Amino acid sequence: MESSILESIGVEIIGVMSPVSICMLLVVLIVYSLCPATDSAPPIRSAANLVYLEVPTDSTVQKLEGALLNALVFVIIIAVVTFLLVLLYYYNWTGFLKNYMRFSAFFVLGSMGGSIFLSIIQHFSVPVDSITCFVLLFNFTIVGVLSVFSSGIPIFLRQSYMVALGIFVAAWFTKLPEWTTWTLLVALAIYDLVAVLAPAGPLKLLVELSQSRDEELPALIYEARPTVLANSRHQGRSLELLFGAASQSGSVEMQPVSGNHIGTREGGEQNVHPEVIVSESTNPGNLEGLLRQGDEVERSPLVGGGLGGRSSSSSVGSEYSVVVGSRDAPEIVADEERSPLVESRRRGSGNESAERGMDDDGSESELASSGIKLGLGDFIFYSVLVGRAAMYDLMTVYACYLAIISGLGCTLILLSVCRQALPALPISIALGVVFYFLTRLLMEPFVVGTATNLLMF
Amino acid sequence: MKKKVDFSHLSSSPSPESAIITVAAGIGYALLALGPSLALFVTVISKKPFLILTVLSSTLLWLVSLIVLSGFWRPFLPLNSAASWPFAVLIITSVAFQEGLRLLFWKVYKRLEDMLDAFADRVLKPRLYPTDKMLIALAGGLGHGAAHAVFFCLSVLTPAFGPATFFTDQCPKLPFFLVSSIIALAFATIHTFSMVIAFNGYSDGNKVDQLFVPVVHLVAGMVNYFCLSS
Repeated sequence: MESSILESIGVEIIGVMSPVSICMLLVVLIVYSLCPATDSAPPIRSAANLVYLEVPTDSTVQKLEGALLNALVFVIIIAVVTFLLVLLYYYNWTGFLKNYMRFSAFFVLGSMGGSIFLSIIQHFSVPVDSITCFVLLFNFTIVGVLSVFSSGIPIFLRQSYMVALGIFVAAWFTKLPEWTTWTLLVALAIYDLVAVLAPAGPLKLLVELSQSRDEELPALIYEARPTVLANSRHQGRSLELLFGAASQSGSVEMQPVSGNHIGTREGGEQNVHPEVIVSESTNPGNLEGLLRQGDEVERSPLVGGGLGGRSSSSSVGSEYSVVVGSRDAPEIVADEERSPLVESRRRGSGNESAERGMDDDGSESELASSGIKLGLGDFIFYSVLVGRAAMYDLMTVYACYLAIISGLGCTLILLSVCRQALPALPISIALGVVFYFLTRLLMEPFVVGTATNLLMF
Repeated sequence: MKKKVDFSHLSSSPSPESAIITVAAGIGYALLALGPSLALFVTVISKKPFLILTVLSSTLLWLVSLIVLSGFWRPFLPLNSAASWPFAVLIITSVAFQEGLRLLFWKVYKRLEDMLDAFADRVLKPRLYPTDKMLIALAGGLGHGAAHAVFFCLSVLTPAFGPATFFTDQCPKLPFFLVSSIIALAFATIHTFSMVIAFNGYSDGNKVDQLFVPVVHLVAGMVNYFCLSS
């Protein structure tokens, strides 16, 4: 019996949702176990509290104004730093940027991660001495720094370190006072929307720059590589085929795997941007292109294999290697599908995922990369929202978790339809905030009232 | 008649290793309510990503229905504990609303099935098998059941992780949390499988199946109510 479509559909979405869920779960656990004494410790002054330090005894209006000022200042700082990043990238200081990212990863893992580990050790009375602890922490940090931008590290390790970075920063952010946190989240969602979609937005500029240079974005990005299933040839494209029936198939945010230089080898007959992409995109104007696309997918590996003499095409790989641009399409669709990005320049963690790795060696190109990328800031702010919800009640945690996951799903579906860079924060944060307040005000009296009376339905 | 939610007079059950026991007790209650659902999830649902998405979306739908219901009932809360009939009305309206939502879920599912079949044709794979359809219905029901257990049982379970337990007047032998977990387990089972039965009934046009599900749901809810008000 041939395998049904239910086996493979939706793999990409789960590949992104699982790390987000794990990150949120761990942040909630950290928040619960290291339950901070809320009123006793003096609040830390940080970039998010520059203007106004919230004190529980202030009046509501004062808190609201202070929180809005805090949020405004924070967003301005982030915007300035993002523009600085764009400027540095424009002048080709990419090496400096990468080293700065490595330094910030070192700093976060070492100091913030270290302080969280120390709190856990103290709280649970784990019997470990300080020298061992220091050595372990040092090793942990160094491997994390190595895994951020190098290519030789297994993908699972890199993904775990991304999630760990997200957890540490989010756990630290939950120490902010309540009003400031909520206004900050909303302000950042609005900023993300503007920065990615507006014509002069810094993130849009960054993506276009990296696209035009065919380089990897110098940013901290989580990539979810889909598992390679031998039978599902169209696995990568399943999302678009399912939803974007009318539009052309664009890869959802599948990054073009990397240059399989068929074009340069055969000369100008193929397009100039050879890319091996999982979900290939061809004629933008071709509305019925999906079925044709299927033919092209089948045809092109044969073409590529025959002409190029690619020794790399394994039977698995060749299913994924598709040359961009059919021969009859005059335009070359350079597709990087950007992925919704996230922002957060504070750590220099990048957001978007538009990546084009140009790889001269065809052999690892097919399996090198492909898959949805989500910026680290998304992880961080989703987890901050859920962590703040955890400080109120367990019910709000579930409601916010569901809201954020559904917002992420909507964003991914929208991405497969729109085929351009989309911000990942706005929908999820909006849903999360709405569900938090609805649950807290409406649902909790209802459910707690009936559940404690054992009145279930 | 009605107990107040007042954990100040807890009947404590002291024991030397109380800290470990109570965390274990808390986890035990949680697993009692969610154990079979978790087993179903791990063995059947986690293998197919689409079913995980179905579980998540049906959970969300149940949450939204709960929010709408609580929005409707909010002005009347907290209910006057002297009279017990408002609770009956509460249960009847809630069950009716949720069954209506199940019908809506069915309509959405039909459209999804068409989309999936078209997709299968495009990628030259076989269309949805009957087992596939039942799996999707199972995943939908599991979402509802898990959401029910989480919102009604787990959210009030937090005190169970502490060093004491709580007994109610009507049932002095079982701790409150145990009763709540058992009822949540029963309801999770009801929700999970009634979705399969309902979808089968709707697709075959079988009236008995179609009526069976709301009736069972209503009876279960009302039995709870009668136990409460006696």
